[in-house]
Amino acid sequence: MKAKATTTKPAVAKQKFTRAYLKRYWQLYLLLALPLLYLLVFKYIPMVYIQIAFKKYSIVESVWEMPWAKNHGFEYFIQAFKSNDFRRALRNTIGLNLLDLVIGFPAPIIFALILNELCFKRFKKVVQTIAYMPHFLSWVIIYSLALQLFAPGEGLVNMLIERLGGTSIPFLNDAAHWVGTYIGVGVWQNFGWGSIVYLAAIAGINSELYEAASVDGAGRFRKMWHITLPGIKPTIVVLLIMNLGNILGSSFDRPFAFQNNLVMNVADVISTYVYRTGIKGLQFSLTTAVGLFQSVVGVFFLLTANWLSRKLGERGIW
Amino acid sequence: MKKRLIAILLAGAMVMLSACGSSSDSADNGDSSTTTSDDSQEASQDSSADAEESAPASELVDGKFAETRHITVEVYDRGNDGGSDPTNNMYTEYIKKGMLQDHNVEVEFVKVPRWTEVDEINNLLAAGTAPDICVTYSYPTIQTYADMGGVLDLSGYVEDYKDDLPNLWNWLGETNIYWDKDPVNGTIWAIEGKLANSNRINTFVRQDWLDALGLQAPTTTEDFEAMLIAFQENADTLLGADADKLIPYSVSYDVGWRTATLIESFIDPDISDKEYYVNGFDDRKLTQNGTKEAVRLLNKWYNAGLMWDNFALYGSGDTTEDDMMKAGYVGAFTHNWDYPFRNGEDSINANLQRNIGEDAKFVAIDPFDDSKGTHTKYVSSTAGDRKIFFPTTNDEPLASMLYLDWISDPAHIEYLQIGDEGVTHNKLESGAIQTVAATGDAIMNSGMNIDYTITCNGLHLSTDELTELSMAYSYAGIDPELVQTANDIARTDAVPAKNVNVGAIDAEANIGDTLSAKRDQAYDNAVIAAESDFDSVWDSAIADYMNAGGQAIMDERAEKWTAIFGDTDMLP
Repeated sequence: MKAKATTTKPAVAKQKFTRAYLKRYWQLYLLLALPLLYLLVFKYIPMVYIQIAFKKYSIVESVWEMPWAKNHGFEYFIQAFKSNDFRRALRNTIGLNLLDLVIGFPAPIIFALILNELCFKRFKKVVQTIAYMPHFLSWVIIYSLALQLFAPGEGLVNMLIERLGGTSIPFLNDAAHWVGTYIGVGVWQNFGWGSIVYLAAIAGINSELYEAASVDGAGRFRKMWHITLPGIKPTIVVLLIMNLGNILGSSFDRPFAFQNNLVMNVADVISTYVYRTGIKGLQFSLTTAVGLFQSVVGVFFLLTANWLSRKLGERGIW
Repeated sequence: MKKRLIAILLAGAMVMLSACGSSSDSADNGDSSTTTSDDSQEASQDSSADAEESAPASELVDGKFAETRHITVEVYDRGNDGGSDPTNNMYTEYIKKGMLQDHNVEVEFVKVPRWTEVDEINNLLAAGTAPDICVTYSYPTIQTYADMGGVLDLSGYVEDYKDDLPNLWNWLGETNIYWDKDPVNGTIWAIEGKLANSNRINTFVRQDWLDALGLQAPTTTEDFEAMLIAFQENADTLLGADADKLIPYSVSYDVGWRTATLIESFIDPDISDKEYYVNGFDDRKLTQNGTKEAVRLLNKWYNAGLMWDNFALYGSGDTTEDDMMKAGYVGAFTHNWDYPFRNGEDSINANLQRNIGEDAKFVAIDPFDDSKGTHTKYVSSTAGDRKIFFPTTNDEPLASMLYLDWISDPAHIEYLQIGDEGVTHNKLESGAIQTVAATGDAIMNSGMNIDYTITCNGLHLSTDELTELSMAYSYAGIDPELVQTANDIARTDAVPAKNVNVGAIDAEANIGDTLSAKRDQAYDNAVIAAESDFDSVWDSAIADYMNAGGQAIMDERAEKWTAIFGDTDMLP
């Protein structure tokens, strides 16, 4: 893209250069062809079916033959925004993702900083490994653990609370408590894994900086604040941008595993809404419209965040 | 050198891949060519049919095709532990052999997972590979496919080939065959299989607990409540150290189903057909007149600690509640009319006897009285259960109809349901058929092989007397007297569903799952609400349900009722 944009004046030289480059490294380009093909087949060709959002879906016709939807093809977008359920799912998606961002995003950074300060290497390794583990559990398993621990009455934690004379806490069956549990378990599952990137970034910081700071009399917190954090700032920004791009996206398994009839008001997110109305309710056009909306807003957030970070003097992701 | 080698390898991989791509293309071409050849085949069939049509009406000679035809039939895969392959076992062999002999039709079974059948059929239809004969419990699903042009209209076939389908017409009759006939344009998208046993829901109680506390089986709702309180107050006597685990009355998240007879007892027994129909889209009776007061009572019980406090946290198919019943913590529950007797050695009652003692058992009771003192239970009619439809990809409609006829033959139904004597059943002196637990190839994946007898759900033997006599013996290891009592109670004051056929209700299309989810949420949240909040929780949940499509359905139902039946409130 960039090459094309700048091929105005020294076009001939550039072209020659590109060709020579291609000739010399053709093996590497060949290597790139495979992932590109993957993207083409699994990410770009399926985009053809985006038009389902604007058409009246039929199971027996090909996507090109389906008739256009009413209101210039926007019938299903209008229907979605008129639906209370969709608006509720939208609100919940944004709410839960923001909470995840505010609470879940800093957690691995803090964990990485703390871990980095440990001088007993073996202990550090053990803690690190233990913290990674939950990442490899599926949400279905995590939910059954949560149910065993937090169910009112029969859950271990609540039994303990009751034996100690307290009243049981409705971790899973009261809306506000459920949000807390959902976010908390999310942080628990992800902070160890998320910290890997930051630990790698910290390892790349020049150790002479720390030595120099020590000579100047800086303590641990000073060093953290003035060396470690600025050192990993580009990494933080890139990850933040990617997270912001995902503000409307949501995984399916986590909310689906955790939701129950008592908390649907706060627990129904776009992905589970799409599953219920689209796949189970056979309203493919409606939910394709919702999915398309979700993606477009996601791209918008991504671009804005990227633009902002460049304005603020950081690198952005491209 | 190494670099070159890698390059060559990679290039090789690329060639392979592009070859794959092009081969998939060519496969597509192949597909289209096979479809064209299919078409030509069809055409030739048509022409041969035409040729024969000029002579007799049917292309059958003695009920047989001249050339062997091939059809595919859906069968549920229940994935039971130790079950057999649902597409290939001694019962499928029996069917295949019979169909080939009688009609010269080859039958191939296609398995579809039972619990995700709708999604699966959806995929198969979209791919054009759905079996020729499909079965589902969900009429809205068929309606949806039919609207998209994916379903064959059966009206012509059942009429034109009536003489070739004696068993089908005898067994299903006009009631079931015309059940779904559109009153305006006469299309029949599906034929209703017959429900041989329309028993629906019973309430069960621990007989040994009643005995221990010197209580009589309750026959009114007040007695039932008093009994629950007695269970709660005497938890120490009943369960000893496990007293805090006692649950007087257990329900699941599906409150509308699991307290159905209680809810029904709050409905006006004299409700008009029209009102019952207009408010009746939800089969859990959420929007019927009287449901709110029933749920208010449940709410009171819940807040008094008489019900399982975690019922809403466990979803469909979870066994936690069953396990508590089996462990002996549950005093009473409402469920399918034969629930504690199902599954032979693993039945709830068998488990209770193993875990608690010989006396421990659930017995059926009839506690919920309505305003007239009767114990009304709304049960299914003979139809409204499983529906059979042919997708448009079915190019053997006549052979498929013959299959339905063959599978409706009383002799075939009987063999499939009870199998061989001495293997899957014994004959008692009274003549009754007693089901015994089978092993190996003779194991039935579904009770009484209902997955194969698609036009018949429930025990149906050659004569009604024999069926009646054998019913109580059809549960391996269960005291026949318990089954008999449950059967009698399930039929007390039963009101069979009537067929209100006013044509397709457009507002019902595609909305079923959304509304069912809302229904469950409404019930669950109302049951656990604080007593003072009950009204607001219930009313807002109902308002949400109505907004999401419930009201539109009611309006359209009322409108179409008037269009078909006029001003009368009762069915003719």
